[in-house]
Amino acid sequence: MIIVCGIPAIVGSGLLWELSEKWSTVYGYLFLLAATLLVFLLAPQLKQGHQAASEAVESSPRFYVWLSVLAAFIFLAGYALIASLVLSMEILEFSLQIPWATLVSSYTWLVVAGSGLCIINALGGVFGMHRYEMMSKRIVFLSLTTIMFGLMFILFHLGRPERMPIQNAISPNFRSAIAWMGMLYNIYLVIVVVELWLLIRADLAERAEQAEGWKRDILRLLALKDLNDSRLGGILQKMRLDRLLYHPRLHRILDDPRLPRITATMAFITGVAALTMLGSVFAHAEARALWYGPYYPIYFLVSALFTGYGVLLAATIITYRVKGEEMSSESKALMFEMAQVLALLLAVGFALTSYRLVTGLFDPLRQGPTLFILKGPLSPAFWIFEVGLMSVLPSFILLRAAKKKSLGGVLAGSLMVLVGAFVMRYLFLVGGQIYPNTFPRFSADLPTILPSYMPTITEVFLIVGIFSGFLLAYTLGERFLPLKEEGPEHA
Amino acid sequence: MDRYELITDRNTDLTANSWVVVNLRADSDNRTKRHYQHWACQHCERPACAGVCPVTAIRKLPHGPVVINENKCIGCRYCYQACPFKIPRFDFAKRVTRKCHLCYNRTPLLNYMKPACVAACPVGALAFDYRSEIIKEAIKRVTNLTRPSYILGLTEAGGTDMITILPAEPKNMGLVVAPKKVVNHTLDKIRISASGFMAASVIAGGMYFYSKPTKNRDAGLGDK
Repeated sequence: MIIVCGIPAIVGSGLLWELSEKWSTVYGYLFLLAATLLVFLLAPQLKQGHQAASEAVESSPRFYVWLSVLAAFIFLAGYALIASLVLSMEILEFSLQIPWATLVSSYTWLVVAGSGLCIINALGGVFGMHRYEMMSKRIVFLSLTTIMFGLMFILFHLGRPERMPIQNAISPNFRSAIAWMGMLYNIYLVIVVVELWLLIRADLAERAEQAEGWKRDILRLLALKDLNDSRLGGILQKMRLDRLLYHPRLHRILDDPRLPRITATMAFITGVAALTMLGSVFAHAEARALWYGPYYPIYFLVSALFTGYGVLLAATIITYRVKGEEMSSESKALMFEMAQVLALLLAVGFALTSYRLVTGLFDPLRQGPTLFILKGPLSPAFWIFEVGLMSVLPSFILLRAAKKKSLGGVLAGSLMVLVGAFVMRYLFLVGGQIYPNTFPRFSADLPTILPSYMPTITEVFLIVGIFSGFLLAYTLGERFLPLKEEGPEHA
Repeated sequence: MDRYELITDRNTDLTANSWVVVNLRADSDNRTKRHYQHWACQHCERPACAGVCPVTAIRKLPHGPVVINENKCIGCRYCYQACPFKIPRFDFAKRVTRKCHLCYNRTPLLNYMKPACVAACPVGALAFDYRSEIIKEAIKRVTNLTRPSYILGLTEAGGTDMITILPAEPKNMGLVVAPKKVVNHTLDKIRISASGFMAASVIAGGMYFYSKPTKNRDAGLGDK
């Protein structure tokens, strides 16, 4: 009960603080009303779940509390969005000197992790490692949700998001990295949806056999099984969709055993290409001394791998913990193997960072930016988060956990990597724009006035809301889709 | 020495609605002299912003101006990141990026009508003509002066269509310093992206060598 009352209280007090500033009282109260209504709507469910006292997490009160917390944060994001539309976009990213800020850094964090998951999935899907293949449903689903919600950050960052799909289709600029990145991620999303559908199709058909009524029909339709005897089948026949959906040639392609591997290969190629173009978005900008050069496309690939492993390990272990299930011995062995690979990748990433910094010290063009990272105002973010929390500490923790077979250690290490990587992206993005374009450039001895940036409260609302949306999507996917690892007994 | 010491009492920054500013600035080597200095989009001959705009909203028109199509702009602000002079400003009300367009709509025929700032200048400090003519005029004005001068725009960012006579080098004036070469050359972009694709192939190779020797270990997991 404390949690149920506490969340609206925290949210409400935050809102009051926000409203006391000066503006948009109406929208604030509307939000408050919506959040309260939501909690009331969920209350019977909560009670019911409590009375059932079932062992399963899905019907326990904490599941509904978790959902309502996420929904409240999503409402907050909606409030921030509406306020930005009604008032001005200044309440989201107000800085003129630093136009790409926390929204874009969160975007890179999430989307690069999703692309890393796509590369990891290729280990099973393309290179044929069975132990990765048994995790492929979770990997593909995570990759889809991370990239979808990551692109949502960009959507809200853009001034005119409604123009993007149209203009990107009718007049793309093939010299622009953003245009390529957008196109490739869109193609990638389509391929990943097909890949996920292929993976869960058999399970949907199996569920259709157990279900009854309209549920059965919809599940059968989703699995593209025969619908002749049902009402939905009649509707499809009337609309003449059945000829397309049940065309024998289409089904010959769908039943081809090589198809999963082909889609995984296509997803791997487009995902890696999109990720390289995402790195190039920053690396092409010659006017930004910190970003420019062929280094960042490479580093984005490596950091995609370690953040992808981090997301995968953390999501899997937390899911098992929350559900209170015991992991199969194969899955456990894979967790520890992945922890070791993650430690290796962190070492590779750290070696790349050191290479960049050491060569930067001797390069007259890059000396300034390098010193800015090492000694500038954002240097604590570099030394504590990027070096300490992202590279050095988790490597030792992960290796030790893998040796001692402790899943808790692996979880701690991967969470550290994720937190460190978030700050690393922020440092990369905001630091790159703070570094001055005027002389005298930054030097450690001289006091220099740099452009300042601090996220606004609405910006924080939006970011937390989108992350909550991602968590909600994963929670619901875990609830309704068969993402569990398949041991040999299921194969 | 602090950059902000160079900025005197009259300093306005460009905004989404004021595309041209004239500031009173001092030379860092000679503080006693102060000069008015005109600052706006430099209209590069090979504009970096047009090369990075994802929807080709920015174009270099044949008679010189670099123009943002505000009905096309999606507001991603990549042009600001790419611009070597840091000119484009995001308009938070219109949600698009805006900057000086050299009055492209006033000057479809050269010298028929001059850009508004040129037409308004009462002392003829600004001039509008073919680039070669303007460079000749700038050199003539500089040779007539007794003090040292710097002509901005001859080589900056591969040459610009805005030529400014400065009393000192731009870095001593507290201005944004552009490299003296074409910025964001397409070949350079291909070189940078190619490094990423090479790294991707290296990673694919690494994955192959990771999967190959350990495949036997999976034999127990069964072949589906």
